[in-house]
Amino acid sequence: MSLYKGVIDPKPSNPREMFVGWADAPAVDRRFLLGALPLGLAGAGGAAWLIANELDDPGAGAWLTGATHEITGTLITDPYPMIRIIDQTTPGGVRTVLIVAQGKCTSALQLNDQRGSQVTARGVLIQRKQRQMLEVPPFLDDWLMPAKMELAAAVVSPPVKSLGTSRLAGAIMDSKCFFGVMRPGRGKTHKACASLCIRGGVPPSFWVRTKDGAESVLLMTSADGGPMPMDILPLVADPVEAEGEIVRVGDLLQFRANTSAYARI
Amino acid sequence: MGHQYKAIQWNKNKIIYDLYTVVAIVLFIGVFMVVGLQTQPTGHAADPVVLAIRALGVATFTMLTVILAIGPLARLSPRFSPMLYNRRHLGVMTFTVASAHFGLALLWYHSSGPLNPLVSLFASNPLYDSIPGFPFEVLGFAAFLILFVMATTSHDFWLNNLSAPVWKALHMLVYPAYILLVFHITLGALMTEKSILYPALTAVTFISISALHLYIGYREWHADNGMKSLKAKGWVEIGAPDDIPNMRAVIAPLPKGDRVAVFRYDNKISAVTNACRHQNGPLGEGRVIDGCITCPWHGWQYRPDDGVSPPPFTEKIATYKVKIEAGRVFVNPKPNPPGTRTEPAIIAKQGAAVT
Repeated sequence: MSLYKGVIDPKPSNPREMFVGWADAPAVDRRFLLGALPLGLAGAGGAAWLIANELDDPGAGAWLTGATHEITGTLITDPYPMIRIIDQTTPGGVRTVLIVAQGKCTSALQLNDQRGSQVTARGVLIQRKQRQMLEVPPFLDDWLMPAKMELAAAVVSPPVKSLGTSRLAGAIMDSKCFFGVMRPGRGKTHKACASLCIRGGVPPSFWVRTKDGAESVLLMTSADGGPMPMDILPLVADPVEAEGEIVRVGDLLQFRANTSAYARI
Repeated sequence: MGHQYKAIQWNKNKIIYDLYTVVAIVLFIGVFMVVGLQTQPTGHAADPVVLAIRALGVATFTMLTVILAIGPLARLSPRFSPMLYNRRHLGVMTFTVASAHFGLALLWYHSSGPLNPLVSLFASNPLYDSIPGFPFEVLGFAAFLILFVMATTSHDFWLNNLSAPVWKALHMLVYPAYILLVFHITLGALMTEKSILYPALTAVTFISISALHLYIGYREWHADNGMKSLKAKGWVEIGAPDDIPNMRAVIAPLPKGDRVAVFRYDNKISAVTNACRHQNGPLGEGRVIDGCITCPWHGWQYRPDDGVSPPPFTEKIATYKVKIEAGRVFVNPKPNPPGTRTEPAIIAKQGAAVT
């Protein structure tokens, strides 16, 4: 029969040595800690490096909060607030800049009085590759002013060209975060935020990849070209596919389909 | 020990422990942020707030993993006892880091929208009926609430007022909290990030912690089973006095499932409960210092003959009657009320003595 002498150190080389918090540590513990503590710090730094170094590329988005950006063009409110400006670098010479408010409640913007008119708008630019968005800070009372300038018809009312019906697979994003406010502004960790943003009026975008792997971002509308209904919210940020009509309006690609056309993959 | 309540009863070891922990946390989050900001291609910079949320989240999980590892490691080797000593401070710091993670995530992902942030936490993702789609945020929130309860009741004031068994049971909630965090990570970050490193690290960490606990549990179960032959009706035979290391103890299971710590000191034998009044620490793994049984976890002390802490402290633990017959030590398995003086058994020079 053997006696049980405790689960730790049953036969200590020096039974007098035991670490007691309120006393000086025994030499054997001091020696151990002198080796273990630096190793612990190295482990903390190494683990942080390893984990942070493997994070996914958040994409090319930018939120240029350091400067106020000013644009002049035609104010559009349907299906979402946007301003069309002259930009000779784009096909058709027009660029569409979506307009959002600060935070997640873009529907608070009151724009109907100036719908279709020429305006100058000021705000913070959000940009992902060719897609641009202007965020209006709440403290800029005169962020939207009437403008007097002649704009080509292509800017005021660009042609609407149907590119046919396609079945696309990708993910539904809130355009604001995806364009650059949050990097990354996609994936399940961002689902709640994206859902809140779209509920608050931020335009949803359909982020898809073409067969050759290129990224394409299409503004989502209902099948009749109106704002996307809120029953799309449960599908936000999940991998989905949908069949809908692709429409080009100026430089902007729209994906027109009702919520029922979307299915989680 | 608790003759008076202070926010923290500082000593040199606690200060070193806390300073080291703060340095490790700052180092971890700093390296995470710097590497996270530098590692992406030009023009693809990650959002510093999102990075901070992730750094704080990973730090919380890492710290909780360390906390859960310290207990079993300290039972494998006494060299880990210094890490056990101030584990409660590590727990409170873990809650602090978790609070920063929770606060930033709530602010960044759920505020400034059409819903109250706390409502958004539960309502923005309605896929409660889906495993892969399940709102991982609520799992993290549940774990956070557990950490909150543990942090707010961590002080000895609560330990004394809730009683040690209730306090211990409450703090065993750390295990559900850890499992909630594993699912929070699995259904959140692991479903967003592509690198295989993250599921691999999470799995290895969870399996290692589980295996460590299972191994230690098996060792104790095996040890208890090995002592079954000692059980008898009436007095329980422990063994020869010389089988007990001087100024130390042997631990024996009793018929009703309790454990008794039988100490040998100054040519005497005394027996007390193995559970420290403080946090149920294993008294039998401590030793006799300055004439008092000293708990290896936090250094609480009790006199061997009556189980009372030396003045000015007033804590009491149960004692057991002991006797030596025919060179063998016996313990009466019926515990005396805490603080009851019990005559130690005197070890005769040739072994045979009776109390």
